[in-house]
Amino acid sequence: MPQRFRFLDLKVNDAYTNMAVDEAITKARGEGKVPDTLRFYMWKPSGVTLGYFQSVEDEVNLEALNRFGFDLNRRISGGGAVLNSETGEITYSVILREDDPLMSTDPVESYHLLCQGIIDALDVLGIKAEFKPINDIIVNGKKISGNAQIRRYGAVLHHGTLLVDFDAKQMFGVLKISKEKLSDKMIQQAEDRVTTVRRLLGRPIGFHEVRDALEKGYKKALNAELAKGDLTSYEQELVKQFRERYAGRAWIYRR
Amino acid sequence: MKKFEYKVPGGKLLRAKLEIGNGRITSLQLSGDFFMEPETDLEELETRLTGFKVEPAVYIEQTVLSFFTSHKTMIAGASPKDFAYVINQAVKA
Repeated sequence: MPQRFRFLDLKVNDAYTNMAVDEAITKARGEGKVPDTLRFYMWKPSGVTLGYFQSVEDEVNLEALNRFGFDLNRRISGGGAVLNSETGEITYSVILREDDPLMSTDPVESYHLLCQGIIDALDVLGIKAEFKPINDIIVNGKKISGNAQIRRYGAVLHHGTLLVDFDAKQMFGVLKISKEKLSDKMIQQAEDRVTTVRRLLGRPIGFHEVRDALEKGYKKALNAELAKGDLTSYEQELVKQFRERYAGRAWIYRR
Repeated sequence: MKKFEYKVPGGKLLRAKLEIGNGRITSLQLSGDFFMEPETDLEELETRLTGFKVEPAVYIEQTVLSFFTSHKTMIAGASPKDFAYVINQAVKA
């Protein structure tokens, strides 16, 4: 029998709101106030999102970040720093109860299962992708999607990003991949480690086509029935409350 | 400030930054792109090790290992031994 999910369709928000929404849904789901949820979202302005345990000074070139006018934020989940580009990627989250039969006690298995929606979505677009433990999805050995999970409030939050397009100067300008100067050679090497939907398809692809593929991919991977919905008023209250924390220096610069 | 960085083979990147005074750790920060739950365990470990004698290295290692065991910490992308390793390497840095 298909599992019913509330579906929050593609919306654009700033970094602090986006992370507050993910946490609000997670809390409400854990409390049993909302159903399992699938959410697609984008960012404006672009922003760097750090993993919970990363330190700002080691990961981010603040001068370049300010020059580009990007936000800086920190997730509640672990993992690596991501440039959430307003023109280059779609972000998604899946929120389930912690005791959902879909979830495994083995973290890598849980990642694989919730990454399968992206692998199936890429398949819809004609791209053969595979899961690379712990938390990546790769195509021909190159990373196209990074994911992070956290168990909190009795629920599981799985969120991740799918690279649709890519600006090497931006990404490697704001993220400290290496202490080396950002020479063309360095960009070339780092660029070789990632790929994008547009590059693989060899054509410009609109975000709506990617969104449609994601919807199909998740339906298949989770055997899900998607019912379009919105945040409840309780969740919206939580978003207001959490957003303040996410936007505060104490949170962003905690490491 | 002493610093050591270690990429776990097949896993994630770990960093330790610390300061030492009178043969003891006076401040410690661990960071990286690993996953850990509950996430508060990392801060608790940093606090636990602050004030610790840096010699012998095995003392820090055993404390780190028993901390993660007793807390039943879930770590992905690194092992308790890796955390002990970066701390002891930072001491020597």
